[in-house]
Amino acid sequence: MFLTRSEYDRGVNTFSPEGRLFQVEYAIEAIKLGSTTVGVRTPDGVVLAVEKRVQSPLLESSSIEKIMEIDTHLGCAMSGLTADARTMIDHARVTAQNHAFTYDERIKVESVTQAVCDLALRFGESVHDEEAMMSRPFGVALLIAGVDELGPQLYHTDPSGTFMRYNAKAIGSGSEAAQSELQDKWHKQMTLLEAQKLALRVLKQVMEEKLDHHNVQLAQVTPQKGFAILDEVQLKEIIDAM
Amino acid sequence: MSIMEYNGGSVIAMVGKDCVAIASDLRLGSQALGISSNFQRIFPVTDRVYVGLPGLATDVTTLRERFRYRVNMYTIKEEREIEPETFAHLVSSTLYQHRFGPYFIEPVMAGLSKTPSGGFKPFIAATDLIGCLNFAKDFVVAGTASAKLFGVAEGLWEPDLEAEDLFETISQTLLNAVDRDAYSGWGAIVHVITKDKIITRTLKGRMD
Amino acid sequence: MIMPDMDSLAHPQERRFNPYTENGGTILAIAGADFSVIAGDTRQSEGYSIQTRYAPKVFRLTDRAVLAVNGFAADGNMFVKKVKQRLEWYHHAHAKDMPLRAIARLIQTMLYARRFFPYYVYNILGGIEEDGTGAVYSFDPVGSYEREACRAAGAAQSLVQPFLDNQIYFKNQEAAQGTSHPSHLPLETVLSIVIDSFTSATERHIEVGDGLEIFIALSKGRTLQGMESIRGLQELTVTEDGERLFVMRRDLKKD
Repeated sequence: MFLTRSEYDRGVNTFSPEGRLFQVEYAIEAIKLGSTTVGVRTPDGVVLAVEKRVQSPLLESSSIEKIMEIDTHLGCAMSGLTADARTMIDHARVTAQNHAFTYDERIKVESVTQAVCDLALRFGESVHDEEAMMSRPFGVALLIAGVDELGPQLYHTDPSGTFMRYNAKAIGSGSEAAQSELQDKWHKQMTLLEAQKLALRVLKQVMEEKLDHHNVQLAQVTPQKGFAILDEVQLKEIIDAM
Repeated sequence: MSIMEYNGGSVIAMVGKDCVAIASDLRLGSQALGISSNFQRIFPVTDRVYVGLPGLATDVTTLRERFRYRVNMYTIKEEREIEPETFAHLVSSTLYQHRFGPYFIEPVMAGLSKTPSGGFKPFIAATDLIGCLNFAKDFVVAGTASAKLFGVAEGLWEPDLEAEDLFETISQTLLNAVDRDAYSGWGAIVHVITKDKIITRTLKGRMD
Repeated sequence: MIMPDMDSLAHPQERRFNPYTENGGTILAIAGADFSVIAGDTRQSEGYSIQTRYAPKVFRLTDRAVLAVNGFAADGNMFVKKVKQRLEWYHHAHAKDMPLRAIARLIQTMLYARRFFPYYVYNILGGIEEDGTGAVYSFDPVGSYEREACRAAGAAQSLVQPFLDNQIYFKNQEAAQGTSHPSHLPLETVLSIVIDSFTSATERHIEVGDGLEIFIALSKGRTLQGMESIRGLQELTVTEDGERLFVMRRDLKKD
């Protein structure tokens, strides 16, 4: 794939003669190094599951944060350069709060996703003679889960600023195997619990370590309770029920 | 600050079928401060004429005495009770005498005047503070809630109301108008004048 | 040679441009259980002069939202234009019509954005909420707002509002033993109260008159009950869901 590497892979906003933006493609590659992250949509809500790579026994696994709240009805899981996701989620949170402030209603899942993607394309952009705010594309992909008037939804965004809606989606290092497993097992009338178990089962298959309540994190967005990260007790129950 | 709004208060009079009504709120204030919830500003002139004096409270007292004096003089000299039309002109001339240093009162009058055939005809009138007369056929209003009184009265009043219906109409008009006026309210008093009796009722109102 | 006026040279004088005018007129809105009525007269005046006998103050915003603006006409027209623009942007960004309560909040933020050079207008927003209920929102010029059952604003507000208190909220009226006052009135009653309010205001206020425009927003599934006898009723829109918007026009006295 990178055999055609040339001087065109330097400028972040310069197309190669074949019509490619190498830096964006490399950024997408960066995600494939990230930990596996899974999202599953059901009629009762959306489930997000992430693998937490605990590289050292001295590492406090609870300090690894890969699922974050955007608003009470919106959650987000990430894979790739997770530090980049902070900027994006911060933007998403501000957008959601601004929407609530201006319109006295909850922002739609698609709208907040669009806002994040608008930001993703701002790299290399400069105003007048000032330095560009972002020098490179984000190296992270997001799974944005939420509930609005159109029901539970799951969106995937990547560094190119593209976003798509999925019934179930896996990103990160184990995504290929995970995605085909999801394709096999996902069905329309899944319950939330089935979705939780499916997400964990898929993670388990692609994880090197043995899955337990320390090295995975599970969250859900439901119409009733909105976004919630499951605590270790709840997580353990589901793992035991798997 | 307008001197007309210093003490607050409003008066309204309405014509009915063979009857008239006159009503006022009971508030006396000192700008925003409430002083009394039993301030009378409607006074009987004769058995069949009443006058309401909304405006500056000190002038209410002064004018009441002045009208009493002039009406008594009229009664003695003429050896008969004053007719409402005549009283209206008495009020007007009294006020116009002070054209360039007026009493801050806009009087409202209501009464039944004698007809040549011996019957009674409803009469209402109002003047501005220098005595310009307004003989309306339906209703007259004055005081701090006058705009509100106009609006409600225009919506509620209809011709030829019987005494009890007229009472209801003038009461509702006054109560709802003064509830939207900070300077009027704190209870109300209504007089309905018919050929054989005068119905006087004190109404409870919002006390805020 | 004209001698300079020493008096005026001695004292500093301030001359200032006043950017605001009052253009008279009155607006009014009443919410029913499943409908909303928004009305305004069409006279536009400046001082004692009538500028025009037909200047609309009530505007359709969406299939279920109507905005009435009163005060300084130039500001009012510009404000409506800006609100409409924001509604269009919202439609592009979120692929739906803005719901009524969202419009209400938007109007607050737009008005408050001009806190120190306000739009000199009183707004009344009427229409149908997402839950199908009729609604009225009223605003002050800097965005303070409230949802109510009825509201009058403008030149004859002081004439009309106490009448509405009495006829809509049944203020100072005791319900008969064992009964209670209705919280919402039928459309037929509401329309006659609206027309009565404007004829009364026209009678007693010089800035009100000429014409009356009444918008009627109906919730989905609501029949035309109470509208059979209305002459010259014009249907503006029907949504896919079945919400309907009508306008009716009446003459008011022109003197």
